[in-house]
Amino acid sequence: MTRFLIDKGHDGPIRKGELEVGDSRFVCPLLIGPNTKLPFEVVGRDLASKAVSLKILPSLTNDISLPDGPEPLILPSLPNSSLFGRDAHRTLLDHQLDLLDSKDESFQERAVVRTSFGLTNDTYLEFLSRAKTFGIRSVAFQFDGYLGQNDLNAVDLRISTPLSWLTLALGRVDLSLLPLLVYLGFDLIDISRAEEAASKDLRLWKLSTEEFGEHYDERYCSCPACNGVSLSDLSESERYKVLFKHNSEQYRILLSECIELSNRGLLRWLVESMTHATPNLAGFTRRISSTFYDYLEEFTPTIGSGVIPLIGPESYWSPTVKRFRDYVRIRYTPPSQKKAILLLPCSARKPYSDSRSHKRFRNAIDSALGSAKHEIAETILTSPIALVPRELERAYPAANYDIPVTGKWDAEELEIAANALVDHLSKFDVSVPVLVHASGGYRAIVEQVEDQIDQDIIYTNIVGSPTRRSSLQSLSEKLTELKEGIPLEKGHSTELEDTLRATADFQFGTGAGSLLIPEESKIKGKLYRMVVSKIGKEQTCAFVSENGVLSLTLFGGELLKPLGRYWARFEGEKVRGGALFAVGVKSADPNIRPGDEVIVLNRDDNVVAVGRSEMSGREMCELDYGHAITFRHKVK
Amino acid sequence: MDLTLDILQDAITNLAKKARKDSIKRRQRRNLSVPAAKWIAPAMIKGRQGYALSVVLATVGCSHAISEAGGCTMCSYLLDGTEEHPTHEQLIQQFEVALGKLEEKPVPYSVKIYTSGSFLDTREVSIIARKAILEKIGRDERIEEVVLESRPEYVSDSLMHEVKSILGDRKIEIGIGLESTNDQVRSLCINKGFTLDKFQEALEICKTHGIGIRAYVLVKPPFLTERDALLDSVSTIIKAAEMGITTASINPVNVQSYTLVERLWRSRDYRPPWLWTVVEILKQARKEVNHTIPILCDPVAAGKSRGTHNCGICDSSIIQAIRSFSLSQDLDVFDDLSCGCRNLWEHVLTHEDISLVSHL
Ligand code: SF4
Ligand SMILES: [Zn+2]
Ligand SMILES: [Zn+2]
Repeated sequence: MTRFLIDKGHDGPIRKGELEVGDSRFVCPLLIGPNTKLPFEVVGRDLASKAVSLKILPSLTNDISLPDGPEPLILPSLPNSSLFGRDAHRTLLDHQLDLLDSKDESFQERAVVRTSFGLTNDTYLEFLSRAKTFGIRSVAFQFDGYLGQNDLNAVDLRISTPLSWLTLALGRVDLSLLPLLVYLGFDLIDISRAEEAASKDLRLWKLSTEEFGEHYDERYCSCPACNGVSLSDLSESERYKVLFKHNSEQYRILLSECIELSNRGLLRWLVESMTHATPNLAGFTRRISSTFYDYLEEFTPTIGSGVIPLIGPESYWSPTVKRFRDYVRIRYTPPSQKKAILLLPCSARKPYSDSRSHKRFRNAIDSALGSAKHEIAETILTSPIALVPRELERAYPAANYDIPVTGKWDAEELEIAANALVDHLSKFDVSVPVLVHASGGYRAIVEQVEDQIDQDIIYTNIVGSPTRRSSLQSLSEKLTELKEGIPLEKGHSTELEDTLRATADFQFGTGAGSLLIPEESKIKGKLYRMVVSKIGKEQTCAFVSENGVLSLTLFGGELLKPLGRYWARFEGEKVRGGALFAVGVKSADPNIRPGDEVIVLNRDDNVVAVGRSEMSGREMCELDYGHAITFRHKVK
Repeated sequence: MDLTLDILQDAITNLAKKARKDSIKRRQRRNLSVPAAKWIAPAMIKGRQGYALSVVLATVGCSHAISEAGGCTMCSYLLDGTEEHPTHEQLIQQFEVALGKLEEKPVPYSVKIYTSGSFLDTREVSIIARKAILEKIGRDERIEEVVLESRPEYVSDSLMHEVKSILGDRKIEIGIGLESTNDQVRSLCINKGFTLDKFQEALEICKTHGIGIRAYVLVKPPFLTERDALLDSVSTIIKAAEMGITTASINPVNVQSYTLVERLWRSRDYRPPWLWTVVEILKQARKEVNHTIPILCDPVAAGKSRGTHNCGICDSSIIQAIRSFSLSQDLDVFDDLSCGCRNLWEHVLTHEDISLVSHL
């Protein structure tokens, strides 16, 4: 019996899971092929192995009199299919179904369907709907390693595959491609390339390939295969063995790096850094990032801790980054009392408020405005997340990202920030002036879109850096002028409610802030630690500074329910235990992402729990295994 | 499965036709009095060292290739064909021109007549021309062996009677492109357009007239992995030998213009067979097949990227070994071959089966 169980732990589409084959258990993502825990065996052609293996049926197999046993069985198709049209591809797939027709359920569970080069997404989707009546739960995709249309198609098909299916990548998977395939959610990855490279006298490294020749200065390697030997001195056959082992080891090392980084939310960073291996891989990764953005975003967690390095253009459109920009653009509404806008540059230290520069800005603001400060909307300009309203500076990834600071902005990041600024300012009344306390690239952003901004724009006079005494002096002066001109009124601080409402909108969508933190709320706490909001004596939510997230109480969940978002429905009356499993979820908001705060409704539509999602809304509905929601509170 | 095969068969026929589309227009106007090609080579003839003449007569080309059937997936012989029908005088003249090549070479001679299709197809070679050419051979005592190439459907009892009565007790073989004894491979992968039964029928007719069959065996048509191809060729040679062929001629695919194979090759989705594969086929088949049946191989474009090839370093020594095997039938010639690329070939044998991805 073959079974694929998905466990919690996303960092993009990558999923952690376990493949059960009879009594054996394999942790996924898993490397398969020669020199791995799960080698191949072509039925009737290779020596039958005693160990557990993936069985392959040769092409043109018409009749399966197959080995019994629990092992996955890859169904037959044809090579050289790239010129085939729709009918032929449909036939290749249907032929595989025909073979399963007369077989029982336990056999069908072992079956792995094969796609082939040239198969289009439409034909594949049609096939999936026909395949439903069979017990198939696995599919193998082909990679030729050229990173062209064939490989892009393989990714496209993988993305259309039911979420609960086990997915295999077969073919030529270069070492540098491994992180991308892991990130994309391939569960079993063929690393026969380790053998192929060895047979071509190649030693594989993460970013490059070493080719042996005469009088060659070989690299140092401490892996168990190379350790202590000089490869150039070995005979061809001895070297082949060493290279094969070394190459396989490199895949193992890199996979473990992928897994460890994904546990820390850094897999995307690894994928981005691998683009330096070849221009071809960079192009492929970019094409995938833009073409399949929705898929990547769907499984990218909305919370995280630690530093997220955003280093080059690859990061501008990474899901975490683009989603932040989108949420700010779509979900953020400025508090109504704001009568002026102050644009500030970002700081290396996060949250910005903790930085030395922002402390200086704060002093200048305080001294100029005093308690009238609550009528000023502070917005921080940055790259590549474009802009951060002060209220959201602790949200993920605003509090986590780290970028190389050179003072030079490239055209793309300028454009991204400028567009975001235009959208952002359009949310304010035209009478609200914009005070710009920024220089260099930051100022260039504003200048680039001056004619698209309806408000008055005022620049402070910056000499050298914005934190210089004279620059700060100019900031104070302009603020004082504004205070008197508009005028800005004194009042009590709105920092806490502004932050909580903005965070609620950011997390749950526009309107959540006013539902969850209505006027009568009592809000207490420190933004740098914890802020609690209550109605009467009952807590509705708490803002946790550490991750910039609002956590709900059951009462808060009730208040949020009318919004109709971030809910999962479970077909019982009461939940039990510490978590809800995917098998128990009947329907859920498809906008749920891993890490989101969600409410659990029972069959009578009552809120029975609140908690944190471990997967996307679609996964909760489609998967039969796995941790869907970890409860924070539940109805007793 | 039958339905499945039909649909795939249609798809492949269409692809073959599409690939061939322009080649019919591109046929050159040729001088119809000279053959399309002619060459001579030393050969063992009835146990004696002599010379073999091969001639490709310029005709309108293979009926199967011109027809709606689309022709074979790897063959562009049509391109060698002529636009107009040569007259019988011209055809006879073509043959005479070729025969001139043998002048002054030591006897005995062997003559192999090809066209860009079938010598026995009267659409290509008229009855008058055929008779005249055969009679010319019949009168020439120096020629002791004759091979006539044809598709099996043109082999009839009366025609074999004619051939036999003109050529007498020379060693006669009809060369047929059997390609594979597996009907599925022959029809699906090659689009050959005849079944094993048809071949068998032709073979039985020939037998009754004491005429032999030289079967051409194709190595690695498209839609087979390297190992599929190896296994298929070995079993084809063995099975054909059991059926009663007199000679097996092994032809690794070479990438010809305006063919489906060429289109796949250009899309990096096809590679001609490895020389190691050819060697392995010869070794395995020679061990199994009765020694009265020679197994020959003279690979076209060998060592080139369009033909059977290895890594480039070892190619020429292996090609040489294959050629000397064809003359001596001695497997020892393969003993000392070795090269670093053998590991890669072994990888390809298994990994193509696994991934169905062409390894170039
Ligand atoms: S291989 Fe022979 S039968 Fe096939 S198209 Fe060519 S000439 Fe005709
Ligand atoms: Zn090493
Ligand atoms: Zn070689």
